[in-house]
Amino acid sequence: MHKLRDAPGDAEEDLRRQIEDLAGDGRLYVLGLGNTDRADDGAGILVALALKKRFPSFSYSEHDGVEGTVLDISEKEEDATVLFVDASNMGLEPGSIKFIPKDEIKETEITTHRVAVALMASILEKSGKKAAVIGIQPETIEFRGRVSKPVRASVQKVVDALLRLMMRIDR
Amino acid sequence: MRELNVEALARVEGDGGITVTLEGKKVKSVTLDVHEGPRLIEQLVRGMTPADDLNVIPRICAICTLSHRYAAIRGLEKALGVVPPEKAQLTRDLMMLGENVESNSLHTFMLALPDFLGYPSAIAMLADYGEDVKRALRLKKFGNHIMAVTSGRIVHGENPIIGGFGKYPTKKALDEIKAKSKELIPDAIRDVELFASLKYPTYSEAEMVFMSVNAPNKQYGFAGDTILISNGKETSAEDYKTLTNERVVTHSFAKRSLFQDKPFTVGANARMVNMARRLDGQAADLFEKYYDETWLRNPLKNNLAQAIEMLWSLEHIPEACRHAASLDDPPIAKPTRENGSGTGAVEAPRGTLYHHYEIKNGVIDVADIITPTAQNLDDIERHMKLCAENMLAEDKKDEEVRLGLEMVARAYDPCISCATHLVTLKRI
Repeated sequence: MHKLRDAPGDAEEDLRRQIEDLAGDGRLYVLGLGNTDRADDGAGILVALALKKRFPSFSYSEHDGVEGTVLDISEKEEDATVLFVDASNMGLEPGSIKFIPKDEIKETEITTHRVAVALMASILEKSGKKAAVIGIQPETIEFRGRVSKPVRASVQKVVDALLRLMMRIDR
Repeated sequence: MRELNVEALARVEGDGGITVTLEGKKVKSVTLDVHEGPRLIEQLVRGMTPADDLNVIPRICAICTLSHRYAAIRGLEKALGVVPPEKAQLTRDLMMLGENVESNSLHTFMLALPDFLGYPSAIAMLADYGEDVKRALRLKKFGNHIMAVTSGRIVHGENPIIGGFGKYPTKKALDEIKAKSKELIPDAIRDVELFASLKYPTYSEAEMVFMSVNAPNKQYGFAGDTILISNGKETSAEDYKTLTNERVVTHSFAKRSLFQDKPFTVGANARMVNMARRLDGQAADLFEKYYDETWLRNPLKNNLAQAIEMLWSLEHIPEACRHAASLDDPPIAKPTRENGSGTGAVEAPRGTLYHHYEIKNGVIDVADIITPTAQNLDDIERHMKLCAENMLAEDKKDEEVRLGLEMVARAYDPCISCATHLVTLKRI
């Protein structure tokens, strides 16, 4: 498993490079997943909400409906990549950020509460789109707990990295 | 002796499992073991005002959130002497239609269909049935949209309240829903045809007793003040305890229900059996075409019933929208008393849901909630036992028996299905 370096800026740089390698010059969509009632589990939602201010048509959260959003993007006639951002228990240091390519997505279980990310990614791929997960290692998912310091910092790093990429594509 | 275990069973966001103990080909026992700790919500809301209760109660389930909210509203309104205005009733009907489309599309396609078609999951099914999966997701999205428009957001919307709605959907929003619903009807018909074409294993067949609400005005629907039983009897929802007779068992934190000491079933197939003659439109035509006596014995037919019900819902959404849009937004109806009791009965997608309240001096003194799954658990065990017995009698392989057990569980309830994805065979 890739361990991100600690030097400031490295996490964003690594992430940006991996996203650029996948997305090329295509459109980037962000879909933040998670539960903001459970502290760090809401990391993906926080990223999506931050990006939504600047890119309301390209950043969505679980509150917008995951399957519907994916379905809409899959039917667009454009080169597009969807980045699912979610708190992921990867056994890393709290706040670690990991780019997870589509074929390495482990969440395959479909439940009444959520259709699996792997299915969403497969639907996108079948429609000629690309997909990946940006995982953020949580420190705590305590109910009604506060977002931890390392995860808060990582949310900002992911937002910064994605903002720069999305602004470049937007131009 | 050996055991067939279904691991990681969840009833409502839960943790549990099914253990089938076998002695040769004879099934000694079937236990549905729910390990999830009790959440004590009925105790939690004691002392709360009815308005506060409505903020807590729907959290029982994130997929049936509106059913729980609506059942609570119905019970609380009865207790407080509130008569909701016509537009509130129509908007509630609409939100329940939306939840039905959302839940039935997800359950039938994502959870049940892969078993019938021989795939391990909907993901694996995608290569060959991509358009069907996308069609289901389109329906789910539409159901979610109706839930968001009526309740305020996709999950745990706060808009439906005692006496009406905080804010009613706009005419524009209703017109859009009306148009979209008509557009999706051909999709729902294709779904019915697909589910009608499936081969339904018969191993778990046995005579069943069905219960559902009796929707008012002799119509099909998802709420009512009396309960229909497939033996021809009808009982007031206020007497729900005589129907459900809840009890606890040692192997499970989930309560169980028996009617006259026998298991019974609630859900889409129960609604179809009890209210079949009230279906109309193409849903009625397709029900007529595909109904046979196996519906009365085979729990797997619930999947076909869900598909037909989804079509019925889509066919009724336009009229609910039209009628609601034709009425002015009424003021919120106010309570007329501070003391009283009442039972709300609604049809959640997976069956009859009861919320009973006793209010004293404006706060909740007693709350009692009986979920569809708590009513179905005993019948699931019964049909799984039959399934195991009959499959083993035919010398079916363990893998086949596992799938048979999973299919029975999944047919009943997506809250169970979500965690009965794994059956392990344990030999002793």
